[in-house]
Amino acid sequence: MTARALQQPTSLKIASGSFLAIWSVIAAFPIFWITVMSFKSPVDAFDSNPLNVIFGPETVAKGNGLSLFDIVFGVVLIYFVIRLCMQRLPALVERHSPGGWLVLGWIIAAALAGVAVIFLFLGVFPVVSNVVNPLLGPLGTAVLGATTEHYYTVWFERGFANNFANSLIVTAGVVTVSLTVGTLAGYGLARSGSVLAFWLLIIALIFRALPHSVLVAGYLPVFISSSEWLAPILGENAPTLYGKPIAVIAVLVAINQPFTIWMLRSFFSNIPADLDEAARVDGCSHFKAFRLVIMPVMWPGVITTGLFSFLLAYNDFLVTSLLLDASNQTMVPAIAGMFNRETTTTDQVVAVAAAVSITAPLFLLVMVFQRQIVSGLTAGAVKG
Amino acid sequence: MKLKTILMAGVMSVAGSIVAADCAFENTVEVRSLSAGFEAWKAVTDAMAECGNVEANLDQDFREKQPEAFAANPSLYHIGGVANSTMIPLLTSGSIRPLDDLVAKYGQNLTPNQKITVDGKIMAIAMMVNNQHLMFREDILNDLGIAVPGTYDEVLAAAEKIKAAGVVDYPLGGTFKTGWNLGEEFINMYLGEGGSFIDGNNMPTINNEKGIKSLETLKALTAYMDPEYLVSDSTYVQQQFQQGKIAMANLWASRGGAMDDEAESQVVGKVKMAAAPMGSAAPASSIWWDGIVIASNITDEEAEAAFRVAMEGMDEEVVKANNDAAVWLIKGYEPGPLAAGAAATAQKGAKPYPASGPMGIMHTSLGNGISDYLTGAKDAATALADIEAAYKTAAKESGLID
Amino acid sequence: MKFKTFAAFVGPSVLIMLIFIAFPLISVFWQSFNLTQPIYKTIEVETCTPGFLTQTCTLETQTIPELDEHGEVITETTFVGLQSYRNVLELDRFWAAVSEGAWSKLQTIDFWKALRFTLMFTLVTLPLVVGTGLLIALCINNASRAIRGPVIFISLLPFVVTPVIGALSINWLFRGDGILTAFLEWWTAKDLALFAQAWTIELMMMFYRVWHVAPFAAIIFYAGLQTVNQDSLESAVIDGASRWQRLRLIIVPHLMPLIIFVTIIHLMDCYRAFEEIVGFSSQGYVISLQWLTYDFLVPDQAGNRSVSRASASAMLTMIGIAILLVPLLKRTWRDHRGTH
Repeated sequence: MTARALQQPTSLKIASGSFLAIWSVIAAFPIFWITVMSFKSPVDAFDSNPLNVIFGPETVAKGNGLSLFDIVFGVVLIYFVIRLCMQRLPALVERHSPGGWLVLGWIIAAALAGVAVIFLFLGVFPVVSNVVNPLLGPLGTAVLGATTEHYYTVWFERGFANNFANSLIVTAGVVTVSLTVGTLAGYGLARSGSVLAFWLLIIALIFRALPHSVLVAGYLPVFISSSEWLAPILGENAPTLYGKPIAVIAVLVAINQPFTIWMLRSFFSNIPADLDEAARVDGCSHFKAFRLVIMPVMWPGVITTGLFSFLLAYNDFLVTSLLLDASNQTMVPAIAGMFNRETTTTDQVVAVAAAVSITAPLFLLVMVFQRQIVSGLTAGAVKG
Repeated sequence: MKLKTILMAGVMSVAGSIVAADCAFENTVEVRSLSAGFEAWKAVTDAMAECGNVEANLDQDFREKQPEAFAANPSLYHIGGVANSTMIPLLTSGSIRPLDDLVAKYGQNLTPNQKITVDGKIMAIAMMVNNQHLMFREDILNDLGIAVPGTYDEVLAAAEKIKAAGVVDYPLGGTFKTGWNLGEEFINMYLGEGGSFIDGNNMPTINNEKGIKSLETLKALTAYMDPEYLVSDSTYVQQQFQQGKIAMANLWASRGGAMDDEAESQVVGKVKMAAAPMGSAAPASSIWWDGIVIASNITDEEAEAAFRVAMEGMDEEVVKANNDAAVWLIKGYEPGPLAAGAAATAQKGAKPYPASGPMGIMHTSLGNGISDYLTGAKDAATALADIEAAYKTAAKESGLID
Repeated sequence: MKFKTFAAFVGPSVLIMLIFIAFPLISVFWQSFNLTQPIYKTIEVETCTPGFLTQTCTLETQTIPELDEHGEVITETTFVGLQSYRNVLELDRFWAAVSEGAWSKLQTIDFWKALRFTLMFTLVTLPLVVGTGLLIALCINNASRAIRGPVIFISLLPFVVTPVIGALSINWLFRGDGILTAFLEWWTAKDLALFAQAWTIELMMMFYRVWHVAPFAAIIFYAGLQTVNQDSLESAVIDGASRWQRLRLIIVPHLMPLIIFVTIIHLMDCYRAFEEIVGFSSQGYVISLQWLTYDFLVPDQAGNRSVSRASASAMLTMIGIAILLVPLLKRTWRDHRGTH
């Protein structure tokens, strides 16, 4: 292909470039805006003049502000963090995680990256800024209002760390179980051309169409009284399923199963059947063929599907708010609770800070996994 | 942005939790509670937790969970936080116990007013009352020479004057959010007109002159409100007050404290309280109470511990520390100027909210049905007839009527 | 593959779905034809509640459920056939409105109001999501390699952000004098109240849905674009096909399975629209089918819930989705048979 033939006219380039620019603004604006709000005093955050929200005069007046130096320094830090995550991290993970443990490697890497970012911005950044600012004169005076007090309230006074831990448990559980069960089923469905396989897929699709509110309301009484009806089977130790993360994990896995097996089935369909058939000719059972031949090449699809499971579990509201107790609540219902409480304006900004806190891990996740998502999808995780 | 302050604050908060709990006894039985999550509950459950072994669940879905969780055997919670309406399902399904024995043993500090009795037995202990009453900007009314309105005609006249003067964005605010809030607004108006909702056979009785009058008053009020009234809840109205955007509203007494909160209110000291405006028969308001119940499917020992813990949560110290968080019924409460409106409303003869099984259905039907009238999709009589029809369908489904 | 092996592979997945979806589904189906009611009795009760200073006691007749010797509510279940469906559909009012030709009257009946909005919401956002997604994917594919990464990153944000948070932030941005409303007011030089009439709310909900889902479509299409056969593109260029023709004749057919995939997912999710109604508190103006189901199901304060009507409405929702999906599934069936 000659480069000339595919070369685009300038007008098209400009049109497509400006469309992307507009789209990027639309896509990022709400998230950018609530992030800005979360760093301001309540009066600034809900001011109807956008400039006041951005510069936060009230917040500066209270002695919380960033100087020009802070801003430049912060931007540089962010830039390097993003670069590292996008370029170095994937290679590092691939080098250091043994085959088959790639997912675990990624989880550890993502967690470490998160901790490092928190340390950089809460640990290193204030120290440097405190030392340098007084030396700079006008460049070191605060111009941009910013306060972390709402984050402090959320994480330390409202016990959001506990919610965060619960979210992690539920999410990790859902992703692990969902992928284990789903990978097997997806492979089975892809390699079986039977009518039964087709109907299973269609039924799964119908299951996916079921309104969740009906399902969840049906679980509530059953889960609450589970120690009574489980007693004949499990005796004294019959658990009350209501309020147990394990019950929520099971429910979310089930709800997510149709999507998971559809995606993985089409991914496995794209792996040539000759591969495992060759192994079978060599005398392997289906399971052995799956383990030896398919497992090494399935990770791109599994990671992509896993990300969708992650999103479902992490973002779920309906199931977690109804089936979990306040003491083991995940982040999303906890935030909704903050709003439904008789709120003051300060509470609302605190809730905004909580909203940003819950978005931050997603942000990191996308940053780290972005390439994997695309390559996984390209490798055929979706094929109708 | 200072690391040192963050660290210091962290240390302080750890230290804070070590401070000796000032509870009169040390609780050794595990006690769990489930209640709504507003400020008063937070104060009370925090005080309960000082006794040790208490797990408080402040949950926005408590209404949905409570009936099932208390019906389980053993009950998942020992203490339930209820209001007059949310007590109904627990009461009728027999999942809460009479408290007479426990009150005799541990309830010396309770006032007679706190003991909610049903059929002669004490079933719940109330801690606070709440009602909607008039809050107004004293400065604006004085400037324009308007007397504090005592009826809705006067409210509307005052709103017209305020609108003409153009001193605020909207003369009135209102908790008209479709659903529970809007249903409550109608119920207030209709009680003020002296109407009754349901007859002895559980049939609806709202499609009448009084109902139409109530609807018309509601609609007349909306003309002076923010046009987004169908999405405005109590928090939104409270913020409109705080930001000086409205001059009058019929708002919950428990919101009064926020008007004088210097951290976020721009109208500190300017908002005053008065009785809810009168309808033809009574103030257009209904009186609510919040309080605790104890589950019946637990051992007597657990019930005793739960009750003692609850009494610790509802004692004088808690009230003194949180005087403005609610209109408390507990000894030691000193009604400040913020409670004046709630008291005046009650003195003028406001009725208690007529909580019952059928009334729950009526409230939902009203909440969902009135917006069609306010948006102009239906006239008043049709709206009321449709609400009655919706009520009958739901009541038939739950077996209340044939 | 032998049936036994197949069963071993899909077994765990099927089991989980059976327990947590199929079983509840059967119970929903059963409940939609039956009515479970407590047996009531009427009693006279004196209730004393707090007033100010003194209590007010009232004597009233109350209808309360009867309890058995274990203190549990006695209920009886009766088969009612299609009664619950009739209660949801309100066919008599529907026909009355239709025969009068009164559209506005039809729009005051809950189910039909919800159906109208749900269908419109689904069918309007569908082409927008597919179109916007395709456009974003093509533009990213056109862009230089250096900016692709960041743009994909930003594009994915609306999709990954927690829906509850997304809806809340729209609330902050648009409610009252929210920042975007203020911007629109400045731009149009008019006083706007976006939450004061149905059409603006509907428009915002659709905008939100497209904002939220278009990135999902975009990323999938973008992945698909990576596998377009370069040879056929090349020969098309040699044959003098214009850019538009290449898009229409080569790229779109190549992406067709993905477009269908996105369409299926979008139809299902959209037909179950719920978060938008709650997030925008639009109940006063527009409701969706799943919101209607939810509203039947949530107990009121006195603990009453309309389980049978909720079940019927859930079944109707599923039937609706099934009808929308049939043409797409037919194609999947052909593909499935074709590949084996």
